[in-house]
Amino acid sequence: MSMRLLSRLLPVALAAFAVTLAVLALGRDGSGEGRAGRPAALPQALAPRASTDERIRVLQDTVRAAPTRAAGYTLLADAYLQKVRESGDASFYARAQQAVDRALRLDPGDAGALTQRGSLALARHDFRAGLRDARRARALAPDVNKPFGVLVDALLELGRYRDAGRALQAMVDRRPDLAAYARVSYFRELHGDLDGAVAAMRLAAGAGGEVPESDAYVRTLLGGLELQRGRVGAARHEYRRALLSVPGYPAAQAGLARVDVARGDLGGAISRLRRVVDRLPLPEHVIALGEAELAAGRPAAARRDLALVRAEQRLLGRSGVNTDVELAIFEADHGRPQRAIALARRAWTAARSVRSADALGWALTRAGRPRAALPWARRALALGSRDPSFLYHAGIAARDAGHRAQARACLRRAVAGRAALSALNGPRAVRALDALR
Amino acid sequence: MRKLSLLGAALAAALAAGALAVTLGFGSSHREAPLSSLDPTGDDTDLYAFTAPDAPGSLTLVANWIPFEDPAGGPNFYRFDDRAAYYLNIDNTGDGQADVRYRFKFRTRVRNPNSFLYALPGVTGIGDSKLNVVQTYSVTRERYRNGREVSSRQVASGLPVAPNNVGPKTIPNYDAVAAQAIRTVRGGGKVFAGQADDPFFVDLGTAFDAINIRNGTGNAGGGKDDLAGYNVHSIVLQVPEAQVTRDARPVAAANAANAVVGVWASTERETVSVTGRGGSRRARTEEVQVSRLGNPLVNEVVIPLGQKDKFNATEPKDDLKNFGKYVLSPELAKVMNVLFPGVNAPTTNRTDIVQALLTGIPGLTQIRAGAPPTDTLKINLGTAPSPSPKRFGVLAGDTQGFPNGRRLADDVTDIELRVIAGFLKGNKVPLGDGVDQNDKPFRATFPYVAPPAAGFDSQLKRTEPAHAPTPADPAGV
Repeated sequence: MSMRLLSRLLPVALAAFAVTLAVLALGRDGSGEGRAGRPAALPQALAPRASTDERIRVLQDTVRAAPTRAAGYTLLADAYLQKVRESGDASFYARAQQAVDRALRLDPGDAGALTQRGSLALARHDFRAGLRDARRARALAPDVNKPFGVLVDALLELGRYRDAGRALQAMVDRRPDLAAYARVSYFRELHGDLDGAVAAMRLAAGAGGEVPESDAYVRTLLGGLELQRGRVGAARHEYRRALLSVPGYPAAQAGLARVDVARGDLGGAISRLRRVVDRLPLPEHVIALGEAELAAGRPAAARRDLALVRAEQRLLGRSGVNTDVELAIFEADHGRPQRAIALARRAWTAARSVRSADALGWALTRAGRPRAALPWARRALALGSRDPSFLYHAGIAARDAGHRAQARACLRRAVAGRAALSALNGPRAVRALDALR
Repeated sequence: MRKLSLLGAALAAALAAGALAVTLGFGSSHREAPLSSLDPTGDDTDLYAFTAPDAPGSLTLVANWIPFEDPAGGPNFYRFDDRAAYYLNIDNTGDGQADVRYRFKFRTRVRNPNSFLYALPGVTGIGDSKLNVVQTYSVTRERYRNGREVSSRQVASGLPVAPNNVGPKTIPNYDAVAAQAIRTVRGGGKVFAGQADDPFFVDLGTAFDAINIRNGTGNAGGGKDDLAGYNVHSIVLQVPEAQVTRDARPVAAANAANAVVGVWASTERETVSVTGRGGSRRARTEEVQVSRLGNPLVNEVVIPLGQKDKFNATEPKDDLKNFGKYVLSPELAKVMNVLFPGVNAPTTNRTDIVQALLTGIPGLTQIRAGAPPTDTLKINLGTAPSPSPKRFGVLAGDTQGFPNGRRLADDVTDIELRVIAGFLKGNKVPLGDGVDQNDKPFRATFPYVAPPAAGFDSQLKRTEPAHAPTPADPAGV
């Protein structure tokens, strides 16, 4: 990760530094622990431009020096989560869990620790746990805004869209800022309002003030929306802008790979994705790479790369990350549809969201049961989503079930957003539509 | 995240870090943003209020946003948020409600949307078409009575924001270009908005090591200014006293009835309907306050953990109701006693802090007798500019310094440390952070803040030269 991105962690680092003071000095009951001497060299590592690794080191020292204070562990958990984000190394989830569990053992009523634990649960796709913690944090600290973010995210992922909408409206009414606007964008996107999603994301961009890492994040999301709208040039502009803010930002590079594909440059997409995967081997990037290789007629390379995906999913699973939905789609596309069905059913049981519904529908379609798939495909589209992937899946299910008109309607809309489909599925959607005409 | 005094950071940040620094899974796993909890364009970082020596009949306000603008990195496109409204608020009746508000609204235009460049090389003027990203703004003066708006008048519009100092090739004579952003305001006065050097100075890194009652207490220099070299975005407004006083007349003397006003900065943003159609309890374009800042201390010393968000969303007029019970026993004093054994900071009944910051010091910074405690920065416009300002302000006998307003050079960190330790109650302790001044000299003329660093020549982390220890009683320093 670029130093500039790390340097923008300064405000958080400052917060972390300052909390070391509070951690050392002050318990929740106000009694300071009598301490001999002073914490050595703690703040130096939290000076401007402290990296996540430095931050982790300093916070580890902090909790050693003050093992009975919850706040240090909460911060440490957050630093570990940041490490996962930057490196893709899911083993830090376990460390984050340990740290935040420790914080809560020390102080079960610490709203900050609960919020942190809730975020960690979401990162691992344990949405029910995230919801529980967010609710409890809200109850304990009703004047704090942060738990709203976790609450909204959990409700959305659980498929409780009306509740999520209400919570999100409360969140943005309390404080209209980047965190709120970006979620409004996602909510609108889920409901098929792509223009509204773009508008809200532009509000988020303004609120971010073009501070580099906020900018890169928001621009990358904007790029994704533009791809769905079929505006490849606009998407390319946003991704390039993101990379100006944070050079090498993996999600933006992956977005540019989609642009390469849309422009027919499979070779370019493949080299780009390989660079992304080398840096941040998330399954979604590896799958994109493998599918690009398949589309480019490189089956051996694709096989090699796609084999990685299962290994990574296993690693993630061992780190407590629930990847049922992603794995279900992967198995449906490249593996065993029966297994895909089992995974998707489990995902649906855990979270009755449009994503789970889409995964189950696709698994059933690929298993040769399109009529069973149709109600699930319909559920996935029930909010009005224009997600090209959902539409492609629904179109194929309809086609296989013999509903040609419905298939054409879905596939037409999928093709309109095919720039957001993978290198494999984009052309497949086009061919399927052509064959139905 | 605002710049905070060294120890003051502890409290707000404990909440900030613990509760706020969270991962955000926006739905699927790829939507995680590490820093979305920050609000750089919404959070006020600092507020200054003073009578400038070269403008003795006016109130000068400096308010900053977007901290830690790194001149050496990034595309340097920092700008105000077009969708936010930035306010300078003035209470001249002492009830914690704004009687006069200056509202700043910004608008960005990108000349060539296909270009990523901030500007082409060789910008010679603020209207130069080589500047690709251009932000302008308007200023509206609103008057209120008892919280209700009674008039609103645009006093400036279409003003240019001073550009980011991207470097000597792009803007060869930056100071001259930025100077073109100094404009006048209808009704009298001057205004400036744009990038500036961050005037705050504090040692966050090594001060803590240096502060030890036995081995030196940060009163002898040697600290590193961790904010040296960074920029911010500033709004600087200078208006005749009659524009802000209760009776709309200039201030005749420090003991005049209209002499003291309380000021604070705030930011508001529009809320939106989540569905884009309707369904917000608030009107579609209603503005919500996202932050406010009066004294450079209260949100840390007085406001407990878990209340910072509420503080940012509420108004000074409700401070007594909302936060009154926390005022007298500031947690920071307890922190200090643990960190610095021997300081013996009083931890309860801190009426001295209440008076110094919230109700005002009688005869100096009280807006009126019996004024309730409100977190506004109170300034006596009748106090003449000091011929030789002292960085310790009132503690050193310089009654024109903080907490009587706040000048750019007032060493708020050292003042705060000593006040918390009990200076105003007679417990004088030679505390400090080892950094006594900003890395760049302030200007003697409007807009007073130093120009922003360019990436080319920025130097971060200046070390304060060592000097003879400043005594516990800093009079004469």
